[in-house]
Amino acid sequence: MVPDPPEDDRPNPWGRSDEAEVAPAAPTDRHVVTVAGDDAPAAEQFNCPNCGGTIEVKAAGYTVSIACQYCGSVLDISNADVRIVARYEEEVRKLELPLGSRGTLRGIEWEVIGYLRRSENAAYPWDEYLLFNPYHGYRFLDTDGRGWSLGRQLTVAPQSLAMAGFTVEGEFYEPFYAQTRAQVDYVLGEFYWQVAVGEEALTADYVRPGKMLSWESNAREVEWTLSELLEPNEMTDAFGIDPPRGGGLPLPHQPSPYREKAGKMLKLALVAAAAIILVTFLFGGTSDPQTTTIRLATNGVEQEAKIGPIELTRPRQAVTVSARAPGIDNAWVDLAYLLVERNSGIVYEASNVVEHYSGYDGEGNWSEGSDGSSSKFSMVPAGTYDLMVEAAGSQWLEGQYAPSNGADVEVTIAKGATFFSNLIFALLLVMAPALWVWFKHLNFESRRKSDSDFGGGDDDDDDDDD
Amino acid sequence: MNRGFFLFGIWCLIVTAGFAYASFAGYSPFADGARSTAARGPGGIIILPGGRGARDARHK
Repeated sequence: MVPDPPEDDRPNPWGRSDEAEVAPAAPTDRHVVTVAGDDAPAAEQFNCPNCGGTIEVKAAGYTVSIACQYCGSVLDISNADVRIVARYEEEVRKLELPLGSRGTLRGIEWEVIGYLRRSENAAYPWDEYLLFNPYHGYRFLDTDGRGWSLGRQLTVAPQSLAMAGFTVEGEFYEPFYAQTRAQVDYVLGEFYWQVAVGEEALTADYVRPGKMLSWESNAREVEWTLSELLEPNEMTDAFGIDPPRGGGLPLPHQPSPYREKAGKMLKLALVAAAAIILVTFLFGGTSDPQTTTIRLATNGVEQEAKIGPIELTRPRQAVTVSARAPGIDNAWVDLAYLLVERNSGIVYEASNVVEHYSGYDGEGNWSEGSDGSSSKFSMVPAGTYDLMVEAAGSQWLEGQYAPSNGADVEVTIAKGATFFSNLIFALLLVMAPALWVWFKHLNFESRRKSDSDFGGGDDDDDDDDD
Repeated sequence: MNRGFFLFGIWCLIVTAGFAYASFAGYSPFADGARSTAARGPGGIIILPGGRGARDARHK
């Protein structure tokens, strides 16, 4: 029996099938149409035994099965007597690529001679067009509405690898769709094999970016087809049809549009990051340090000290003031710095604290803070400077504040600084766009693989495409 | 060359050059020290805002 048509938005291509079983054929005349001086296989004409329409066989001598383009009846023309395999009466489906249309794909002109509508038990339908060129043979044009692929049948079986994939011409194909049963839902045109609606085959697909390797097996044979994804404009240029609308999940073998861009951007970002780190080494760091030691008073009174003069010769430069108080424990030292230019009176100020605490609790010994800190002055103009330092120590003794215990504080001023915050900020600025594009690439791949039977994720991925 | 890639190249160049200039000039938006609104009065006395008192910048 001819199965029910798949539920889709297309018009019913079948009409009402009056005859599913093999029907006897009425005798029909077949005659060859030759073209003088042409080595190509000759065309052949005959009248459809069902509707009487004139059928031209493009690949005469190769074609064994043909579906009448007027009534859709499937005919067996492997013998001189045309035999009706399945009879239909109503108007055939309008195809996106009408039979007989010609187009040049990748330098070769092809003619559409056959059309198959296939599905997995009426689910996941796709269209297969059979292309013919008398000098180059047959090709397949496949689409499920998201893009077009040009396929050729392989004459040598791919090499199976232990990784559950296959190699063809040195390229590895990873499994994507597991073995499933596909059927022919609709057929039109001529074919070099016997084809009929309802015919089933086991299929499986393997992919690599831009290519798909399809395995198909039925009771008679095993076939391998290698398909290459066509650019949308290729089909537009060849057959004048609109490019696919896009949307939905990517095709199994659709290359990520972000991969190449992300790779290039990451390389460039890494070069820029290396340059930034190099600049940090070249212009960062400190020089000409001057140090003084302040003895903290035990009565909590602020101690003061001056370091200088410090000659800054560059128009603008950074200054680093660091302090160390290695003797403090459970104590802190408040520090106030004034960097004063002797002639102009310009004052730069900063404050900091050195603090260190330790103790013992139920989890054992603990400590926090450190015995050092540093403050950095930005874009200090050239001049002769003095650094005024105020230091006041305090400690936490028996649950309350107390004056310091008289530790020493070493204060050092030096020209220059390394602003690690600048470094991190700059690295973020150059890496973020590249990482963003890379993230989009990973997201694309995740969505593409979500449709796979191997290692895929959620099949209910949303339809928002980038 | 891809336009987006070209623009990203320009962006990297700007960031790297800006970072180099900032490093050379010792600029950082995250620096601890800042120019004070304090004024130095007669005799080198620094008058800090907010009542922090006076400091002798010259004779400490």
